[in-house]
Amino acid sequence: MANKTTTPSSSEGLAEAEKVTVTIDGREVAVPRGSLVVDAASSLGIHIPIYCAHPKLDPVAVCRMCLVRVGKMPRLQPACATVVSDGMVVTTQSPEVAKVREGMLEFLLLNHPLDCPVCDRGGECDLQDFAVRYGPQTSRFPITQKSHAAKAVVLSDKIELDQERCILCWRCTRYYDEITGEKELVLVRRGIDTVIDSFNGEPLTSDFQGNLPEVCPVGALTHRQYRFQARPWDLQRTKGICPECSYGCNINIDARDFEIKRFASRDNPQVEDMWLCDRGRYSVEKWSHGSRVRHPLIRAGGEVREVGVDEAVAEAARQLGEVLRLHGGGAIGVIGSPMLTNEELWLLQRLARETLDCHNCDHQLDELGNVSADEHSLGIAEIEDCETVVVLGAEPEANTPVLTLRLHKAQLRRGVEVRRVEHDASPASLGIKGKRLVGVIADEVHRAYAADMADALASGNTLVKRLTVTRGVNGRGAKDMGMLPTQGPGYSRVTGGKDGRQILHAASAGAIKALLLVGAETVLRGAGILAEKALAKVDVIIAIEPRAGIVANAASVVIPGHTYFEKRGSVTNVEGRVQRVSPALPPATAAPQETRVLAMLAAALGATGWGTGDPFEVNTMLSQAIDAYRGAGNGGRALWKRQGEPR
Amino acid sequence: MAEYKLLTHAFGTKDLPTLGVYEKLGGYQGLREAISKFTPDELVAQVKQSGLRGRGGAGFPTGLKWSFLPKDVFPRYLCCNADESEPGCFKDRWLIDNNPHQLIEGVLIAAYALQVETAFIYIRGEYRDQRLLLERCIDEARSKGYLGRDILGSGWNCGIIVHGGAGAYICGEETALLDSLEGFRGQPRLKPPFPALKGLYGMPTVINNVETLSNLPHIVQRGAAWFAALGTEKSTGTRLFCCSGHIGRPGTYEMELGTPIAELLENHCGGIWKGRKLKAFQPGGGSMQVLLPEHLALPLDMDVIQQAGSALGAGAMVFMDETTCLVNVSMRLVDFYKHESCGKCTPCREGTYFESALMHRLEAGQLTLAELATLEDICDNMNGKCFCPLGDTATWFVMSAYRAFRDEFEAHCGAGTCPVAAAQVTALVPA
Repeated sequence: MANKTTTPSSSEGLAEAEKVTVTIDGREVAVPRGSLVVDAASSLGIHIPIYCAHPKLDPVAVCRMCLVRVGKMPRLQPACATVVSDGMVVTTQSPEVAKVREGMLEFLLLNHPLDCPVCDRGGECDLQDFAVRYGPQTSRFPITQKSHAAKAVVLSDKIELDQERCILCWRCTRYYDEITGEKELVLVRRGIDTVIDSFNGEPLTSDFQGNLPEVCPVGALTHRQYRFQARPWDLQRTKGICPECSYGCNINIDARDFEIKRFASRDNPQVEDMWLCDRGRYSVEKWSHGSRVRHPLIRAGGEVREVGVDEAVAEAARQLGEVLRLHGGGAIGVIGSPMLTNEELWLLQRLARETLDCHNCDHQLDELGNVSADEHSLGIAEIEDCETVVVLGAEPEANTPVLTLRLHKAQLRRGVEVRRVEHDASPASLGIKGKRLVGVIADEVHRAYAADMADALASGNTLVKRLTVTRGVNGRGAKDMGMLPTQGPGYSRVTGGKDGRQILHAASAGAIKALLLVGAETVLRGAGILAEKALAKVDVIIAIEPRAGIVANAASVVIPGHTYFEKRGSVTNVEGRVQRVSPALPPATAAPQETRVLAMLAAALGATGWGTGDPFEVNTMLSQAIDAYRGAGNGGRALWKRQGEPR
Repeated sequence: MAEYKLLTHAFGTKDLPTLGVYEKLGGYQGLREAISKFTPDELVAQVKQSGLRGRGGAGFPTGLKWSFLPKDVFPRYLCCNADESEPGCFKDRWLIDNNPHQLIEGVLIAAYALQVETAFIYIRGEYRDQRLLLERCIDEARSKGYLGRDILGSGWNCGIIVHGGAGAYICGEETALLDSLEGFRGQPRLKPPFPALKGLYGMPTVINNVETLSNLPHIVQRGAAWFAALGTEKSTGTRLFCCSGHIGRPGTYEMELGTPIAELLENHCGGIWKGRKLKAFQPGGGSMQVLLPEHLALPLDMDVIQQAGSALGAGAMVFMDETTCLVNVSMRLVDFYKHESCGKCTPCREGTYFESALMHRLEAGQLTLAELATLEDICDNMNGKCFCPLGDTATWFVMSAYRAFRDEFEAHCGAGTCPVAAAQVTALVPA
């Protein structure tokens, strides 16, 4: 990593860097010492066209698009690899530079197939864009003399490569060299015959291939899943959070005609650092398919009746109220899901605890017990600030794959020692030591081992921070919101109740008379036969459920729910980062969003002061109730005081 | 000034490539003296004082290059660049074939001066015999304690590794050589950092040509002042010139620098063959600009030739007689660069392809005058814009020929054939 410029990558504030003053196109600007000319220019709003340089990769200066005049140097210099010095004078707009840009574009287009009409990248392609802005308007090269390379080379089940469209910027090979370290793509042959290909022609096996088409500045590398699916200008883009795990990767959701077509990365240096895993990226298809519940239903005496939302809510309140009156809140079980937003989870546990006097509430089957915010104190970006990071078992990286890339970056760029060890390894036997900051990462199941490890490591001045990988996109939020049988919002102590599996056992034994299930289909499916027995036994089942399935089929009152991509609200990732989500697809039902339905239900049960259930309103209320969330706002981390720390 | 046999004085001695014969002629005395008389720093100063400049092409002062190494950063590496692939250049092969121990001694002297414990000789893949010869001679030298552990009782250890290339011209470029040596695809690296700071395996590295290093035993033995007195003020010593083309006696001649080119041509190369006249010549190898008969009076001096718009480069002299078609020569050279372009940067990869396509049509007489202007324009878009000098030099000969023989280039346009070749055919047909 020769002349890598340092970029602030951690959440901790950096000392003010020393500044140097450079003059670009007659305008002075002060930039941190060590900045590149291209970044200094961009801070002045001056655009320098570049293909090979990428903000996350080391410069290579091979495309030669960014040549600019620097002071009195005899040759034009690549802006992407030239470090600023005090008093440097740079010219980016002159006939000389314009001629070079035009010349380079002529070279790049010389053997390019110009098949833009059938290219997935057409419309969002740097080659097109720069050709319009800086390129020659005509071609001086006879079309018959073009050198042709292979088209649609299948590199794996996920990626196709059009060698002919490739401009050999090396971004994909450097991505593999620097970001994942897997080195699956190589350059073969030389000169005009140079092409990118997989090493030895073997299929790519990386778990992070989906990033390749994104680093590609042209249409050479394409997603097989997205191939010929849309034109970029037909896509409607929504900011969102990847639904596949609790890492909270920022994504752009591109939808066309009420179908999600692709997930694209939306760079958040604190979280995924713009790299997505294939599991998340290619989970697109399941969100556009599957049968849905579209209308509220009341099921009575073997008959199913389609009703309006108001009637369904009134009926649900009537049924729940009756159970509450006859058997008390202990006969009710409330199960949510880690796919719900913070707002929904907060309202749901409030409804259970305050209105239904019920303490049997959970978002999963098995309680973890004594959960605390302490086990989430290590931030994702903070991994780079650690001296040593201990990863217990394979589960953390299997559950949140992008974590692997952060660990690799920490190792490569910051020299962090990463130790992947057995769950029950002891720090002494492994010789793990640290003086300043040690990170311990484990999954939820092995929390106890992580606690032991942290205790053993913490001594003297060594600060140990833990990161526990939660399950489900909002598994962390569900805990923060208190959707737990023994802990309330903000991990407060509450009257204990039954966990998810105990609720189902009690229901099938007849002790629980009513179930309130919100988006719980997947949670219940995990319980198998137990869930089926419980659903068959209980008469009062109030379900807010987006998809058809065992829950919707058994419920006495069904109110259509919304999928994750039809909702507004916030979700919290594994490190406590609270991030907004908004609807990427129009709802498949006319029923209002879950938060409103819950507010209506509470009102129908006689509760007051719940407001309208508008997600923003609920967000304000829960932020007032939970200090850490007030501090987090939108995009920040919800941080609790560590145990023993002064308030 | 005339021919001066410094490096080649013992050439022709029977069994010179064996250690015994080389020692008998005073071999390895230079190494002994270097170790016994000088500290490494003093030796660097000696080489600086000698005025020795690199013989590989750029002519950079060797002692200055050595002094760029950062103090106290170890290990350091020395690479001898024997990837001689410049068209028309064959002096390094000759030096290795005839006197391999002279090179090995030079490598060791440089290694001692730079406090290097591992030196490499990167030799082009086609020089298989030379690689085997060097390996045999290194074994010989090791058996006598000239290399290995505790060399000549000095406590200094040094080994030499000979590494064969795989046939790429670009690997003669020093950073591409390093990449190739490390086992990567041979492609030039981004500079800075320069090899003196971060070279082989990220450590300080010096890369010197075979001929440069072969000078060292003589500089040590005869003294820097003596060497500096040889040649001209800024171009000291002698150089080997690989003379080829339309001349009477092609071959390699060692000349004191400063000798007029005319003397090399007339007295040593036997003049232009078949009693013909000189049309043009290329003084530095395939990449250098063309010079004309009027330049024959110039001395063989790196700076003087540079002022004339060309360079001595790697010391390859290609003479062309009056029947030569400069368009044809340009075309062949452009094809060479197209074939050897590594493909790393856009202007070289695509530009040489474009250039070659135009040159082929020009030589066939199918280009228009407007397209000839295009050729000039794309050469301008390449020259100085490429990642490494390969792409730049791909335009130098053709552009200098175009400037000097503009009429000939323009006569090709629309002629339907090569007019120079056609005229020769006409001359052969009896009236």
